[in-house]
Amino acid sequence: MNLVGMKTLFAKEVRRFMRVPGQTVLSPLISTTLYFLVFGYSLGGSIRLENGLPYLLFIVPGLIFLGIANNAFLNSSSSIFITKIQGTVVDLLVAPLGPAEVLVGFIGGAMVRGVAVGVLTWLVAGFFTTFHLVHPLVAVGFLLIIAYCFATLGVLAALWAEKFEQINFFPTFVMLPLTFLGGVFYSVQRLPPPWRTISLFNPMVYMADGMRFGVAGKADFSPWLGGGLLLALAAVATAVAIRALQVGYKLRQ
Amino acid sequence: MNSPILEVQDLTKRYGELTALNSVTLSIRPGEIFALLGPNGAGKTTLIGALTGLVRKSSGSMRLFGIDLDRDPLGPRFQVGVVPQEINFDPFFTVNESLEIQLGYYGQKADPKRIDEVLSALDLLDKKHSPTRALSGGMKRRLLIAKALVHRPKLVFLDEPTAGVDVELRRDLWNYVRRLRAEGTTVILTTHYLEEAEELADRIGVIDKGRLLLVEDKVALMARLGERRLEISLERPTALPAGLVDLLTVSEEGKKLSYVERPGTTPIAQVISRVYRAELPVVELETRRPRLEEILLQVLHGTEKAS
Repeated sequence: MNLVGMKTLFAKEVRRFMRVPGQTVLSPLISTTLYFLVFGYSLGGSIRLENGLPYLLFIVPGLIFLGIANNAFLNSSSSIFITKIQGTVVDLLVAPLGPAEVLVGFIGGAMVRGVAVGVLTWLVAGFFTTFHLVHPLVAVGFLLIIAYCFATLGVLAALWAEKFEQINFFPTFVMLPLTFLGGVFYSVQRLPPPWRTISLFNPMVYMADGMRFGVAGKADFSPWLGGGLLLALAAVATAVAIRALQVGYKLRQ
Repeated sequence: MNSPILEVQDLTKRYGELTALNSVTLSIRPGEIFALLGPNGAGKTTLIGALTGLVRKSSGSMRLFGIDLDRDPLGPRFQVGVVPQEINFDPFFTVNESLEIQLGYYGQKADPKRIDEVLSALDLLDKKHSPTRALSGGMKRRLLIAKALVHRPKLVFLDEPTAGVDVELRRDLWNYVRRLRAEGTTVILTTHYLEEAEELADRIGVIDKGRLLLVEDKVALMARLGERRLEISLERPTALPAGLVDLLTVSEEGKKLSYVERPGTTPIAQVISRVYRAELPVVELETRRPRLEEILLQVLHGTEKAS
């Protein structure tokens, strides 16, 4: 195990996104703040929820989830994809770094960015509502597993993608619709029957809901459902990513 | 010390119908500079790629430092440096940071003294804290070499290291490669510049269409295949006396005479002496030794059978 190599890749990944903090950390906070202003303040006052949560507090965990997922995914996917485009992937392929070391380095760096954005979103939300953290352990658990899952999915997307259009495919055509239809801004329990049933097949629903249980203390489903789903996704994504790196999928000729 | 640093046995790489490497067998001695020559698409980069982990082999075996790469693909890589053909750089980092990262990948801690040493040797010390994106093309090429060497590898692969660099830089790099050999580093290089192989290599391998046609000591190869030519232009066609008539080839209606000296044939000096004694109406006389390029062409055109 090349621990120094793994730590080097991890530190490089963190340094890389910290070189452009306006783009990688502050930019997501601006959009989150706008969500709070538009959905929370302007529209939120007229929305009443069955579970009794103020609407502003209802959307905070969903936005934290959104921030973690988007940024963890974007960090690993853009970093690996750019490495492929620039040709610097050669440095990694010829170095004594195995699939596990490479995966930990990229996922670790992406998790730091995802977690940083998630925590900052929670802090920003605190200024709009109050600082809620009803089940801290659950919230931290979801924070980490969401960051891990989406960082790993980012690795897979970057390995698969050969063009910029492809690297944007997953966030635009999969993540964006699923998160917006995944109970971030509304409770799926409020939907009419056919849409509610369809929404139950959206895994994002349970992930956002689990985070809501940790932060706000109320949820539509058991947090074990979201947690279990994330753990299963993490296991499958990790196994696929390790195998892809082992065989050098779209990396080695 | 005499056991090979690298052994390749029946290495084959296929891309669908195309066989990029066809049962290549090769052994590299410690401390030598080995030049791999061949035309575009011959399989040079594929061979280096297979040895360095960039290309997945179809069959065959490779041993680096005595270790079978099928059993331990990563362990031997700690002692290997690779200069890829294409220039690459990470624009987020400075020259110094790039080298620190490279050391880290190879399991080594940051070593400012070593970084300064390598940068100084490659004339990049004043760019140590410059962002890599601010370097010129030649400097980026030198940075690639610095990255391949900073962790003190025992074996260095240079894939077309001087492609697209100016003459001065090429000379500098050649000097640096010689210095590496003097320090005991084994170097395997591919090049389009035959002059480069002629200047640097101890042994030469010629590859074409995925087949390694020959591997031979450079000096021996040039002596064996290196014929000398004698060209004589006459003022007018003249009958040749005995002693020359069997040696010289006549062309251009008797006004051009030529002779090829090969190992074991009559020395050119003796032929010139006979021409002088025959008092032929010589206008011009020229002798020349072929460059490696011509030898390579001979090999590629099948004059020399695969060894």
